[in-house]
Amino acid sequence: MTISNGDGDSAAKDGRRERKRKRRAEPSLVKWKTEGEQKTYSSKLIEALRRVRRSSATGAASAATDHSRSRAVREAADRALAAAARGRTRWSRAILCGRTLKRRVLPRAGRPKPVGPARAAERSKPPALKTKARVLGRLVPGCRKLPLPSLLEEVSDYIAALEMQIRAMSVIAEALSAVGGAPSPAQTEGPM
Amino acid sequence: MSSRRSRLRQSGSTRITDEQINELISKLQSVLPEARRGGNDRVSAAKVLQETCSHIRRLHREVDDLSERLSELLDSADLNSAQAAFIRSLLM
Repeated sequence: MTISNGDGDSAAKDGRRERKRKRRAEPSLVKWKTEGEQKTYSSKLIEALRRVRRSSATGAASAATDHSRSRAVREAADRALAAAARGRTRWSRAILCGRTLKRRVLPRAGRPKPVGPARAAERSKPPALKTKARVLGRLVPGCRKLPLPSLLEEVSDYIAALEMQIRAMSVIAEALSAVGGAPSPAQTEGPM
Repeated sequence: MSSRRSRLRQSGSTRITDEQINELISKLQSVLPEARRGGNDRVSAAKVLQETCSHIRRLHREVDDLSERLSELLDSADLNSAQAAFIRSLLM
């Protein structure tokens, strides 16, 4: 990299800039466990739930089946979760771009497998790992074609986010049961 | 990391070392619920991936169940703005 300015300071600045241009530090998993994050998510979710309820009430209320309503709730929860990720992860961006993209059949660029002597590169990823990694990639939105290291990073963030989502939704459900006057169910399920 | 370049490339992409993969896999293993057993080396990478898949499916199922429960509660409860504020205060 040519540095036109012979000044030592700018060289250091270039070094700093280059470090910034490198891939950002991976999203910290700790944030999904903080109370603040969960509260922010909960309030966003409650607003989204009110919108869902309003839309299902004004629309064909009788036609709205339980399944479609719970589906709307699920999608609202996922979208709020993806928004909480602030665009740092692939799975969150994929959710926000709309799930229909995932279902569309994208033309796959057929990459022929390298024929020839078994290279050391191939042996590092035995087929068993490859298939499992592919299954994993299908489970996480937007991560189908990701190479293994990026996939594993996305997966750990996705799992932490999902667990927070579950914690938040459980709290909201409990609160709603209390407010609604209905007897709150005895069990409280939570992964942790 | 010069070994990365000196090895044969597949389709132009840089090869990922075994070490990197093992590191990521062990990091993944630490977030799984069954991470309590010692001697993590004994668990193979395939097993960790398998566990991860099951864990994610389990989480998805929980979210679905919670969504169902929430949608039922939304239906029965009258979520006017006063109550929404009350719920929010419960959470804060």
